[in-house]
Amino acid sequence: MEKLLEILKELEPDVDYDTCENLVDGRYFDSLTILTLISEIEDNFDVEIPTVEIIPENFNSAQKIWNLITKLQEED
Amino acid sequence: MNYFNIIYGFLFLPIVIILYNIMPKKIRPIILLIASYVFYFLISKKLIIFIILSSLSIYLATILMQKMTKEKNESMQNASKEERKIIKEKYKRKKKIILIITIIFNFAFLFYFKYLNFFKHLLQDLFKITGNLKIVKHLAPIGISFYTLQAISYVIDVYNEKIEATPNIGKVFLYLSFFPTIMEGPITRFSDVNDTIYEGNKVTYHNFCFGYQRILWGFFKKYIIADRLNIFVKLTFNNYFNYSGLTVALGIIFYTILLYMEFSGTMDVVIGSSEIFGINIPENFRQPFFSKNISEFWSRWHITLGLWFKNYIFYPVSLSKPVKKITTFVKEKLGSRISSLVMGGISLFVVWFLNGLWHGAGYTFLFFGMYHFFLIITGNILEPLIIKICDKLKINRQNPFYKGFQIFKTTILIFLGELFFRANSIKDAFLMLKRIITHFNLNTFRGEIFTLGLDIKDFLVILIALLIVLIISILKEKGINIRKEISTQNIVIRFALYYALIIGIIVFGAYGPGYAPVDPIYADF
Repeated sequence: MEKLLEILKELEPDVDYDTCENLVDGRYFDSLTILTLISEIEDNFDVEIPTVEIIPENFNSAQKIWNLITKLQEED
Repeated sequence: MNYFNIIYGFLFLPIVIILYNIMPKKIRPIILLIASYVFYFLISKKLIIFIILSSLSIYLATILMQKMTKEKNESMQNASKEERKIIKEKYKRKKKIILIITIIFNFAFLFYFKYLNFFKHLLQDLFKITGNLKIVKHLAPIGISFYTLQAISYVIDVYNEKIEATPNIGKVFLYLSFFPTIMEGPITRFSDVNDTIYEGNKVTYHNFCFGYQRILWGFFKKYIIADRLNIFVKLTFNNYFNYSGLTVALGIIFYTILLYMEFSGTMDVVIGSSEIFGINIPENFRQPFFSKNISEFWSRWHITLGLWFKNYIFYPVSLSKPVKKITTFVKEKLGSRISSLVMGGISLFVVWFLNGLWHGAGYTFLFFGMYHFFLIITGNILEPLIIKICDKLKINRQNPFYKGFQIFKTTILIFLGELFFRANSIKDAFLMLKRIITHFNLNTFRGEIFTLGLDIKDFLVILIALLIVLIISILKEKGINIRKEISTQNIVIRFALYYALIIGIIVFGAYGPGYAPVDPIYADF
């Protein structure tokens, strides 16, 4: 989780990831930011994020992104 | 027939509502299906066969894929991790074949009806072929651009196991042909309407009132604003060489307003009609002219088309193997920011090329697509620089004046984009822009402004109507649910408002001699 927070902070430093629950719906992240994030996650956590998982519900908070990563790691 | 035809709102729709409500719950969805096919047949006659073929193809494909998913899950139950991977791959391949065949089958119709002639012209232009290629002129089945995208989205979602395929053939047929959405969308995903479209819930007094209230609001935008602006816009776009620069500029601004009022007004009628039957259709507009940049604009204007491209083109292209290969290479050489710009840039190019083409088979539409691609990608490239400049100049980006400036800049860029969208040719669009500068004459403007079908009273009506739309937009932007607020008022106020709206449309609607109603613009796409 710490590594993820580090990536997120580098992407959008002004967001409070402890409390923010609407990263996508609140337009903190646009499509390009999500692409960068996906590429960082894939490189750092050795998972592949399928397009079907790219939905706002999976990216709206740091915790949700982390849940997605652990889910994909378990499935692998 | 179209949604603004009196026959639709005051004959067709009421008859469907009555028949729907007197039938038992189980029969009601079938009434909607019959109504949808009657509606379709009235407009497209024998071309109805193509929507039947599309519906049938996606029904069979999804049932087959669902069966395979079930088989896959059963055989994976007692398998080892390694075996599970092999099984997954095996079924994925099988399903992919069905998916590809279904997509090609459905796009083939779209291509034939919308793009064949355009590509013949393109080939002729590119290779300077002399002589005439055989151009077959034919009418396209109504709504083909909309229902084809819906069909594809349903098949892909079932392929990805995002949703389960329905075994109910009537539901699939209704999903694709539902009469309120068939002509101009919104492009609805199956998951959006899965719970409500085939429920057959009774039309309640509440839904009836709310639905018709929304329909009337659509009539207001179309009859009072869009139809009133139509002649002015037609004259300025077709005879710009006769008018002063200021008149041409006003014509360009009026076209964007007309387009917004016509399309969002149609969506009000569409969503209102669906609401009567308790069917929730996604919104297609969210106060687009409060956007601070172009990409935000596209998340507020024709939302469902943007989402379709995002889900089924942007992300799949970005994360496809060839694009990933390129971006990994760029990342090693130039870092992750540049690589994500490259990744996004490639996908955005594909999205906007297709988006332009979706709107119409013509160079002006392709230009329109590329124009937006250029604006979005430039916006992304320049963003860090703009932040740096603002920090240096101590400009607070949260300041309302700065936000106002961003909104103003975005609006101007949208006016320009819609100019290319509407112009008779790209050359004409540039000549119109040139004329604004070279023929900027206030005296000529004064002399001709009231000769383009609008007198001072018309301008006043447009101004007041737009102010009403603006106030409602501001309230919506602030998160105030106006319709809910109205519904909590007592019956006298509520009905006074409804009657004011109806009388307003009757008295100030731009119909009869001297006016020309706007044809449903998006129905041609």
